[in-house]
Amino acid sequence: MKIRNLCYLATLIVSLHACIKDPPINPEADIETFSIDKKYLTADVFIDQANRKIFLNLTPDAFKSGVTPVITTSAGATVVPASGDSLHLDSSTVKEYVVTSASGNKKVYTIQLGGMGIWAWDFETWGLQDHDRYQYVIEHGSSSFWSSGNPGIALSGVPKDPMEYPLRASADAYHGKSAAELVTRKGTALSALIGIKLFAGSLFIGVFDPQNALAAPLKATQFGEPYSGKPLRFVGYYKYQPGDQYQDKAGNIIAGMKDSCSLYAVLFKGTTRLDATNIHTSDRILATASIPDGGPRAAWTRFDIPFKITQPYTGTEKMMMAIVASSSKDGDTYKGAIGSRLVLDSLEVVK
Amino acid sequence: MNKITIKIAGLILGILTSTAQLFAQDNGNEQTNTKRFKKILEHRILAGFNFGGTAPVGLPNTIRKINSYRPEFSPSLGYELSYRHTEKWGAAIAVKLDYKGMATKDEVQYFPTIITTSDGGRFEGDFTGKNKTTVRNAYISFPISAVYTPGNRWRFNLGVYAAWLFSSNFYGTVSDGYIRNGGSLGEKVNITSATFDFGTEVRSFDAGLQGGAAYRVGKKLSIDGNLNWGLRPIFPDDFKGMDFPLYNIYLTLGVTYKI
Repeated sequence: MKIRNLCYLATLIVSLHACIKDPPINPEADIETFSIDKKYLTADVFIDQANRKIFLNLTPDAFKSGVTPVITTSAGATVVPASGDSLHLDSSTVKEYVVTSASGNKKVYTIQLGGMGIWAWDFETWGLQDHDRYQYVIEHGSSSFWSSGNPGIALSGVPKDPMEYPLRASADAYHGKSAAELVTRKGTALSALIGIKLFAGSLFIGVFDPQNALAAPLKATQFGEPYSGKPLRFVGYYKYQPGDQYQDKAGNIIAGMKDSCSLYAVLFKGTTRLDATNIHTSDRILATASIPDGGPRAAWTRFDIPFKITQPYTGTEKMMMAIVASSSKDGDTYKGAIGSRLVLDSLEVVK
Repeated sequence: MNKITIKIAGLILGILTSTAQLFAQDNGNEQTNTKRFKKILEHRILAGFNFGGTAPVGLPNTIRKINSYRPEFSPSLGYELSYRHTEKWGAAIAVKLDYKGMATKDEVQYFPTIITTSDGGRFEGDFTGKNKTTVRNAYISFPISAVYTPGNRWRFNLGVYAAWLFSSNFYGTVSDGYIRNGGSLGEKVNITSATFDFGTEVRSFDAGLQGGAAYRVGKKLSIDGNLNWGLRPIFPDDFKGMDFPLYNIYLTLGVTYKI
């Protein structure tokens, strides 16, 4: 007994190494990569780790013939069906991959197919995320098309209440019973620790990759879903009321500065999504359409903006389209006014 | 953890029993020495530094590597009043200002944490990566001891202490790793660097066991070593920043001066 206590003491004070125990058995059960030959894809595969979904956008031929994904998992984990097994998507059954960690934990990923082909949205149907209680848009039966910063804000310890998140459904609708409401909110005590004092409301076509949410937040918002043809106009309705006090990244109020919103569509070539670092600058951009000013609009305001072509294209190559909206234009650098409110309804990309 | 507490309690009980026996023998001796020995009050100034850790008793397996450890500047200063009941036996009570601090760098794996914030926020997850923690808590402590003085040079004491916190620091960074939202099956979020500060969560009252020995090196001066082993976790039960309790386990090395 004495010797044991002396060991603790010696261990603690002299050499903490002595009491390092055997490592825990790996409890992690991620599908880390899910690789399919690029020629079968219309968008890079995205694994939604938060919701345990694998988003696949396949060419029509690949959809018919099936694909053979190569899967890697967390160290020591196993997956069923195995890596290299073919995946056929023509039947109506839900395709699932079950990962078992070295420690025996199980995680089930479901395949979610993209490619809706309808480029008009009314924001009538919303889902509620189970664990973190934020809302997300469901359009034409798919939750994998529109995304937002909500999954990132969930990591900052906001209260688990849909109204605490900057993107949510609002009954203040132009058409139907709901619209998408984006409200810039203050940061949390936790986000302040990594220098974030403000969260802008965001809504975009694409996916949110939480892996980078803290380390490289501009890369967490991945913009774009597959598009084909030539878009003519970006149309819709919006309302905007900037918040009272504009603040910089450090949270200092800048007198006389007014917040503004941003709302734009970008068509680009390729199958790899753009992110907040290159959505305006990539040399893959083919055409853009942006509301001319982000100033206040007290009443529902229609916009109808022709796409401006930045480089010639045929409309038959592999392309992606992103729509990006923010209640604070500089929200990507955590600047804006708390309370700035952008409401969007009845958006459409007209061919 | 309870097991260990019980073991320590057992150890103390054992020591107390044997001291009681010694006491009995001593009383026997005392009767022959009554003329030579006078019951006296003694006063001492205590000064030293605390070395040790605010640490778990037995490292959990989520701690994979200790990269560095150093004591913080942790002075200890106090006054002790003792009463020698017999030539060899007495009792002492002291009041001390005790800083207890350390800084460690370690690496953890699947380390569960729940962080709650003053604005009502809450984040729960498992962290894998590097951690740097600095602790520096200041207490007013009151040790009470049985004192045994077998001869001219040595003086031993054993007892308990109660301590009240008057200033606390418990902060650090996590870096070069990732946290999984909600637990080990949640999504992975890379962390390059983030800070934490649990200073306001530290309990205001600590109590534990203490004991040590002093060796007289001058007429009034002794060198002194005293182990203080906290038995109360420094964070309250509802604190979930770490899923194991931390205790103040510090060795005071210093001098005592008899006045």
